[in-house]
Amino acid sequence: MLEQQLVNGLTLGVIYALIAVGYTMVYGVIELINFAHGEIYMFGAFFCTTFIGAMGVPFYLAIILAMAAASLMGVLIEYVAYKPLRSSHRLAVLITAIGMSIFLQNLAMIIWGSRPRPFIQEAVPAYLSETAVRLGDVTLTWLHVFIFAVTFSMMIGLNLIINRTKIGTAMRALAQNRTAAQLMGINVNAVISFTFALGSSLGAMAGILVAVYYNSMYPTMGYVAGVKAFAAAVLGGIGSVPGAMLGGIVLGVAEALGAGYVSSLYRDGVAYAVMIAVIIFRPSGILGKAVVDKA
Amino acid sequence: MSKGKLYLLLGALVALAYPFTPLASDYVLHVAVLVMIYMVLAMGLNIVPGFCGLLDLGFVGFYGIGAYTAGLLTVHYGLSFWAIVPLAALNGALWGVLLGAPTLRLTGDYFAIVTFGFSELVVLFLTNEIWLTRGPLGLPGIDPISIDLSWLSSLLNPAWDWYYEFDGETPYYLLAIVLVLGVYWMMGRLEDSRLGRAWFALREDPLAAASCGVNILLYKVIAFGISAAIGATAGSFFARWTLFLSPDMFKFWESFLVLCMVVLGGLANIQGALVGAIILVALGEVLRTVLPALGLPAETRFLAYGLIMILIMRFKPKGFFPAIATSGLSNPVIVRLRKRLAEQYGAKG
Repeated sequence: MLEQQLVNGLTLGVIYALIAVGYTMVYGVIELINFAHGEIYMFGAFFCTTFIGAMGVPFYLAIILAMAAASLMGVLIEYVAYKPLRSSHRLAVLITAIGMSIFLQNLAMIIWGSRPRPFIQEAVPAYLSETAVRLGDVTLTWLHVFIFAVTFSMMIGLNLIINRTKIGTAMRALAQNRTAAQLMGINVNAVISFTFALGSSLGAMAGILVAVYYNSMYPTMGYVAGVKAFAAAVLGGIGSVPGAMLGGIVLGVAEALGAGYVSSLYRDGVAYAVMIAVIIFRPSGILGKAVVDKA
Repeated sequence: MSKGKLYLLLGALVALAYPFTPLASDYVLHVAVLVMIYMVLAMGLNIVPGFCGLLDLGFVGFYGIGAYTAGLLTVHYGLSFWAIVPLAALNGALWGVLLGAPTLRLTGDYFAIVTFGFSELVVLFLTNEIWLTRGPLGLPGIDPISIDLSWLSSLLNPAWDWYYEFDGETPYYLLAIVLVLGVYWMMGRLEDSRLGRAWFALREDPLAAASCGVNILLYKVIAFGISAAIGATAGSFFARWTLFLSPDMFKFWESFLVLCMVVLGGLANIQGALVGAIILVALGEVLRTVLPALGLPAETRFLAYGLIMILIMRFKPKGFFPAIATSGLSNPVIVRLRKRLAEQYGAKG
């Protein structure tokens, strides 16, 4: 029982981590809580089923196409809504982000209807639901293996991009000091667009994985997942990419254990409680830099 | 009496007389009450992001606490509305202080996130503690407001019975006007007080304010507590007006709506908050009738709402009345000081 809860928690956790990375990267470069990120996650799942259902694209290709479409969407959102407000006060940008989230959620509701719909099961390769490993009471299906493999390889890839490539260095420079980065000849707009594209593609991947895992998707799914992923980003230290990964996994496990042993009604409450506790006692999170407060 | 005050008085008189004119309709009165509830909420929220410069994303939590305090006290103990309002306000303030004291040391987005988490927890509590709130079924059977002076009338003359139960929209409308004017007056007094000046100071420069002896944490907690109490007061009125409560009424969307009203009117501008409440509630009502007429489902209302907020922020990021710089400077002491400075330093001052 405990082991199975742990597996479920870990599975959810790595998915939260994928979403959380998108929040934390955007926060790192433009200091904005991108409320619309949860909606990107939701759109990712819907894009994927649309590609499969309406165009007959095979499963794995549909995932890649959906990620591409979602990153395009992320870049577009930034270009249309956030970029013009870069010099105005932060409340305006935040309200724009929340407005964008509400807009996208209702757009999805109009396009696809508000009722939960299943993922197209025929398109999912059959072996994914077969048992891969059985360890005592714990059963791991190939889907679990697939989720872990995908998320871990993506996180390793992301770490390589951030730490080893030129654009990753530019992102880190921007996070430290935008003006200085600009003076060093970094194309700030391009880096910000790239950050949104990267974060959005990971978010879309998470949405697809969740839709396949639970075999269900609905237009409001992005809200709770977004909030939890954000809590994970805070837990790990907002702005820190490894922190967001760790935070997601810790939160997923805490939630599964909390739901299993304390009360399943407060499943969602665990995330909020963890978030508030972390902010009160250690605002910099597990791996974040210490926050310097001038007052 | 200044021109502004005269207009305000005239406006209040017209508003008070409106339900007794032949133009009055239940629908208009209903929307007007709704507008006024949001006016109170917007004025209450305005204290935190407007006066103190702290982003509050969980204001609706206090509104919900006030509403459920009022609803539960009415259903279980049959308390009178007049006793409930102070109790609900105190309960709101209590939670405001409990949440604010440990978290107001945080700045900027961290504080915003904590308030957001708090209001989500309030909704979860209201949904899950079924023994107390009946959860998603909602809390029906709340009595309307009544004015019970039978104890007084029976003393004067046993035949009299001074008991009046609110029926229809008109009495609520009148009471809401009183509520709005009361809170508005209080806001004006707060803005122009030692408290208000401390808030402005810590908003403009916390370090300078602290150096001048302003206890930053204390003043922030006071601001948060007062704001929460006003939210809870609006909630208690709301409970005794709709006579039914459900956790859905206090979701994050409402916090966002009230925040939009404040920003739309111009942060820290009290009159702006009032105008913001009128515009956004009216917008909701207009969209509700216009969209179905255009053959669109009613849910597109929120789509339009989101889009309009994006557009307003895009083209008017400071709101319609950005009076943030001048508010609080109408105090005679400050006016005299400025005049003296201007005389001393000539055109420079």
